[in-house]
Amino acid sequence: MKHLLECGVKLVDSQVNEKTDQPWTLKRKLFLGLTPGQYLGQALRNPFNWILGIIFAIGLPMIAYRFLFGLSAVTHSSNDYPWGLLLGFGLFAMVPLSASGFMLGTTVEIFGRHDFEPIERLALLNGLLGYFFAVVFLLCDLGQPWRLPYPMAVAFGPAAVLFLVAWHVATYLSVQIAEVSVAFFEWIGWLGGKRFIRRIAIGLTVSGIILSTLHQGALGALFLYAPGKVHPLWYSAPFQWIFFFCSSIPAGLCMVIAVSTIVKKTMAWRCDSNFIDSLDRCTLGIAKGASMALITYLAIKLIGVAHDNEWGYLATGWGLWFLLEIAVAVVLPLCLFAYAIHNQRVGVARLGAFITIFGIVLNRLNTSLITFNWNLYQEIPHIFEVIMTVTVFCIYIVVYRFILYRLPILFAWKEQPQEALAAEAAKPAPVRTTVSPAGAMYRKID
Amino acid sequence: MSAKQILTTLMTVFTFVMAVTMAQAFDDMPDQVSIDVMTQYFDGVEFDHEMHTELGEDCSACHHHATGTGTTDDRCVRCHAESDETAEVGCSDCHAVDTFSAEHINRKAADVYQFHIDTPGLKAAYHWNCIGCHEQMDGPIGCQDCHARTPEGDAFYHADAQASATEEGGH
Amino acid sequence: MSGISRRRFLAASVAGCAATTLAGSKKALAAGSFSGYPDGMGVLVDLTRCIGCRSCEAACNKEQNLPAPNKPFDDKSVFDETFHGGKQKRRPDENAYTVVNRYDVESENKPLYRKVQCNHCAEPACLSSCFVNAYTKTPEGAVVYNSKVCVGCRNCMIACPFNIPGYSYSSAFDPVVKKCIFCHETRLKNGLPPACVEICPQEALTFGKRKELIKIGHQRIQTHPGRYVNHLYGEKELGGTHWMYLSSVPFEEVGFDPNPGNEPIINNVKDFLSTVPMVLAIWPAMFTGFHLLAKKQDGHGDHEHDVEEHHDEEGGAQ
Repeated sequence: MKHLLECGVKLVDSQVNEKTDQPWTLKRKLFLGLTPGQYLGQALRNPFNWILGIIFAIGLPMIAYRFLFGLSAVTHSSNDYPWGLLLGFGLFAMVPLSASGFMLGTTVEIFGRHDFEPIERLALLNGLLGYFFAVVFLLCDLGQPWRLPYPMAVAFGPAAVLFLVAWHVATYLSVQIAEVSVAFFEWIGWLGGKRFIRRIAIGLTVSGIILSTLHQGALGALFLYAPGKVHPLWYSAPFQWIFFFCSSIPAGLCMVIAVSTIVKKTMAWRCDSNFIDSLDRCTLGIAKGASMALITYLAIKLIGVAHDNEWGYLATGWGLWFLLEIAVAVVLPLCLFAYAIHNQRVGVARLGAFITIFGIVLNRLNTSLITFNWNLYQEIPHIFEVIMTVTVFCIYIVVYRFILYRLPILFAWKEQPQEALAAEAAKPAPVRTTVSPAGAMYRKID
Repeated sequence: MSAKQILTTLMTVFTFVMAVTMAQAFDDMPDQVSIDVMTQYFDGVEFDHEMHTELGEDCSACHHHATGTGTTDDRCVRCHAESDETAEVGCSDCHAVDTFSAEHINRKAADVYQFHIDTPGLKAAYHWNCIGCHEQMDGPIGCQDCHARTPEGDAFYHADAQASATEEGGH
Repeated sequence: MSGISRRRFLAASVAGCAATTLAGSKKALAAGSFSGYPDGMGVLVDLTRCIGCRSCEAACNKEQNLPAPNKPFDDKSVFDETFHGGKQKRRPDENAYTVVNRYDVESENKPLYRKVQCNHCAEPACLSSCFVNAYTKTPEGAVVYNSKVCVGCRNCMIACPFNIPGYSYSSAFDPVVKKCIFCHETRLKNGLPPACVEICPQEALTFGKRKELIKIGHQRIQTHPGRYVNHLYGEKELGGTHWMYLSSVPFEEVGFDPNPGNEPIINNVKDFLSTVPMVLAIWPAMFTGFHLLAKKQDGHGDHEHDVEEHHDEEGGAQ
C-alpha cells in the first residue's frame, strides 16, 4: 500500500475523490480507492496475508468440521472440563481485552478528556469487535448455537448469572454498534444517522459503563458456581466479580495501546497526522490509567489472599504459579509503566501494555482452564480446538483490518464544502465548519 | 375288660392322637418351597426346605421369632424373647414383594404403631438371609449357583457385549 | 449553553438508562431460600450392602434406552478401569447415567462399592446456573431436564459439585445433557421406584420419602453400632440431597468430597446478583454527575480543542 501511495494513488478519506471531483462509489470505497487489480496486488504482496492464508487453509475446514460433526470432532469431549480453550480464550480472555470501549468512551464523553479523542474511535472499534468475536467464539463452543436467542425470547432462567451475561452482552453490543456507527455513517455518507447517535451519546456511554461493570463482573461470578473446582488462590467468594471487573480496566486500556502500536507499525499510511502526532501522548496517558488500575488490582488480590487466609497456599506449586502470574501480569508492567511515564519513554509503555495483555489472558486461562479442577487431572486442550481458536482469532484480525483500512477510525473524514453548507442550512444556529479532531463522536452544535 | 386291656387301649389311643397331632404340625412345614415371584431375569428357585431344617439350627435362624421358638439376636430379644408363633411364618408374609411401590410405602406410613420401619423387601430378605449363612457354611453364593439366568436376563446384562473400537466416553 | 441542550441530554440519558434497566430487570430475585418439597422421594444408598453386581447399571441402561455397553454388565473387570493417568475412576456420561465404582479400603476385608448418579439435590446447582431454565425440581423429588430449551452452554456441568451431568458431544445436531432423572417420566410419576432400586438384589438402595429415609438412616446407624460412620451424607450437604449415603468408612475414602459445605451452590452467587440492581440504580446518576462536574460551565464548551490537562486525574472509569 505504501508503494501504491508513492505512485500517487489517492486514499479514500472523504465522499469525493479530490483528484477527479467525483464521489467515490461504494465499490471503490471498499477497494480502498484502488482498482481491483491494484487491490489484489497489494494484498498478495503482504507477507502477513501469506501466514493468514496457511492458517485459513487449515482452520476454515476445521470450523466446518466442527459444525458438521459436533464438538467431539474438535475437543476432548470432557465431562469434567466442559469449558475449554474456545471459551477460556475466546470469551473469558477476549471480553476484558475489549473493555476499551467503555474505558475510552467514559474518558472522553463523561470525564470530558477530549485530548484522548484521537484514539477514542479505535478503542470503541476494538471493544465492538472484541465482543462480537467473543460471541462468535461462543457460537463455536455452544452445543446448539442456533438456540443462542433462547434466553432472550424462549426460556428464561433469570436467577442464573449467565442470563445476566447474555442479556448484557447483547445489549452492550447494540450500544457499541451505535457508538461505532458514527464512523460508518460518515463513511457511507448518511449524516442524519450520525446526528441521531450524537444526540444520545451520553446515554449510550453511561449505559455502556453500567453494562460493562455488570457483565465483566458476571463473567467472574460464573466461577462462583464451582467453589471447590477453581484453586483457592484464583477464587474468592466475595471478591471474584470485583477481581474480574478491576482487571478488565487495565486489559482494555492496554489493548488500545497494543492495537495502536500495531496500527502505527503496519498501517501508518491510513492514519492521519492528528492520530500519529497525538499517539505518543495518548499512549502515556493511557499508561497512567492502566498503572493505577494495576496497582489497585494488586492490592485487591492481596486482600483476597488475606481475607481467606490463603497464605499457606503460596508455598505450594500452585502458589508459585500464582506469584509468577502476579509478577508478570501486574508487577512487571507496573515497573515498566512507572519508568515509561517518568522518563517519557513510549516504547517502554508499549512493552508494558503487551505484557499486561499476556498477563490478563494468563489470568483468565488460569481461572477457567488451568487451575480449574485443580484436584483432578490436568486437561490439555485438543490440538483441533487450538487450531480453531487461532483461526477464529485470525478472522477477527482480518475483520479488524478490513474496517480500519476503510472507516474513518484512524483518520478524520474530510467534510465537503457542500455537505457543510447543507448541514448549516439545516441547523437553526451557526455551525462550526472547522474539521473536528479525528475521532470526535459528534460535532458541536447548539 | 381287665386293667391291662384298658391301659393298652388308652396308650394306643394316646399314641395315635399324638401321632396325628405331630403329623399335623410337620405337615405345615413344607419340604420344598418354590420361590418364583420374581423370575424375569433369573429362573425361580426350588428351595429344599427339608434339607435346611436338618442342618441343626433351630427355626429362628431363618424365621427370626415368627415360629415361636424364641430368638437369640440381641436386637430382637428385648421384645420378642417370648413371642408366640405368628399366624404366617412364610418370608413373603412380612417381607413385601412390592416393597417400594407407592401403595406399600403409603400403607407403611399409615401404620404408625409399626416399630420396624426398615424392613427389607422380599428379594433382599432372601439374599441377606441365604447368602449370609452360605458365606459362613460354604454354600452357593454366586447368582447363578442358586438361580439360572433366563435368556431375557442374558439380554438384560448384555452378555454378548463386544468392546467396540471407540473408547468408553465420559472423559 | 454549550454542547447539546440540557433537555436533550436528560432525555437521552433516561432513554439509555431505561433500556439498561429493562435489560437488567428481567432477573426476578427472590429473597430467602427454598425449603424443598416436603413429600419428595429419595433413595438411601448403603455402601455396606452393595456387592458390585452392577445390576443397577443394567436396569438403568434398559429403562432409559441407553446404548449397548462395551462389556457385559456382570463383568467386574470394569472396576479396574482408570482414566487420565490412573487418577480417575469411571463416571456417568452420555451412555451411562449411573456407574458403580470399587474402592479397596485398607481397613476393610472386602472391597466397598459406591453407586454414582445424580443426587437430586434439594437446591440443585445445575438448576441455579441454567439461564434457560432447563432444569426443574419436581415435587416428587427428581431433578429433571428439558432438552428442548437447552442451548448447550454446559454451565450446569461446571456448577454440579458432584460432576454428574454428561454431555452428548458426539451428536452434531442435537447434543444434550445426559444424567439420571430418577426415572421420573416412566416410574416416579406413576408411584413406582426407579429401575435401579427395583433391581438391586441387596436392597443397597432404599426408596421412600426423604424425610423417612433420614429417620431410617439414623436408625440404622443406631441399631448397628460400629457398622457405620455416624453420618448420613447428603442430609445437610449443599442444602441437602435426595440421594443420601451411609458408609462404613470415612466418606473421603470412598470418593466423596468430605466437606462440600451445607450451603446450596446458589448461595454463592446471591451476593453478586444483589449488587446488580444497585449498580443499575447508582451508576447512571453517578456517571452523569461526573459528566456534569467535568463539563466547564463558562459556556466555552469543551469539545473542540485539546484541553491541556496537567493534574493526574484518572483516565478511566472508577
